[in-house]
Amino acid sequence: MEWEELELSTLQLDAIREVGNIGAGNAATALSQLLGRAVDMEVPVADLVSIYDIPFRYGSPESQVCAVLIRAEGDFSCNLIFVMEEGEAQGLADLLLSMDISGMDPDVQIQMRDSALSEVGNIILGAFLNAISMMTGYVLPASVPSVAHDMLGAIMDVVASIFGVMGETAVIVKTTLQVMDVQQEIRGNVIMVPDPGALAVLLKKLGVC
Amino acid sequence: MAQTIHVGMADLVAVKHPSVLVTLGLGSCIGLVIFDPKNKVAGMAHIMLPDSRESKSVPKPGKFADTAVPKLLQELLSLGALPTNLQAKIAGGAQMFSVPGKESGLLAVGARNIEATKKWLEQHRIPLIAEDTGGNKGRSIEFAVPQWTLTVKVLGTGTKEI
Repeated sequence: MEWEELELSTLQLDAIREVGNIGAGNAATALSQLLGRAVDMEVPVADLVSIYDIPFRYGSPESQVCAVLIRAEGDFSCNLIFVMEEGEAQGLADLLLSMDISGMDPDVQIQMRDSALSEVGNIILGAFLNAISMMTGYVLPASVPSVAHDMLGAIMDVVASIFGVMGETAVIVKTTLQVMDVQQEIRGNVIMVPDPGALAVLLKKLGVC
Repeated sequence: MAQTIHVGMADLVAVKHPSVLVTLGLGSCIGLVIFDPKNKVAGMAHIMLPDSRESKSVPKPGKFADTAVPKLLQELLSLGALPTNLQAKIAGGAQMFSVPGKESGLLAVGARNIEATKKWLEQHRIPLIAEDTGGNKGRSIEFAVPQWTLTVKVLGTGTKEI
């Protein structure tokens, strides 16, 4: 299969940004309900970037992050990734567990935090996906979440190589969510990564092709 | 003093002087080094995808395994390397996320990158003498010229030399 280079008009970028906006709004509400706290959301960006800049654009490639991914397959196949700085992810996990687990066996602590992070990622990304589904009427069954703790560059490799199949340009829809009224800063980014060719399907459905 | 050269995504660098060739945060990508220890020539490519035939254009030959291997070879030969002296080492090709039921496809591109890189090395009769590939962890790599050691750093497990 041969793919066409991704080209988008201003109107199309606006439409994609709007998808991000509604998706992130849904995600922020879900996170807020889960935590019982206010969650602030930044205005989403939809940037056209060179795939070669992706590993550097969102931080140092060697910075340690936690990422949760879910994959949807259907009318609009895509991967959604929730990325947090590792320390903030641990803070979020503790907030969710809402109990002191520091006395437990270290392996059990890791498992409990991972389980919490996997679930919070699942809920946030599921809410984001749900918004796309409601906007389009598409049925988008999601996979179970997959959690990784790694270097930012290695995580962003996934994003760059999926867009790289089509060409040299990626459209990065990124939204920042921030948990309010907590001692530690807790922020996370949702990144939408459509499969090669899937974005055109979405734009057509939204009437901006 | 050895010069540090960062090899970005889809980049390809060949050198004939003391250097440290570096790639940070390799996930599913492959860091390929080919070197001629006798003539002290070495190069690194940062391969993203297995096969250029799946894409419309190839603006950077370092991007695909099938184009990166011959291009790197050509650059090394132009710096005075001899084909019979060449050796290769590779690192990378991890699968960062595993989703049950989706063991193939783009999330598993790392495994296809490893396979394709090895295939093209074999086609060009370049022996692969060391590798640290696969798994589910990202890697940062440094190749020291002219020590010919590839240092692989994995988060949480430290470094090793291959």
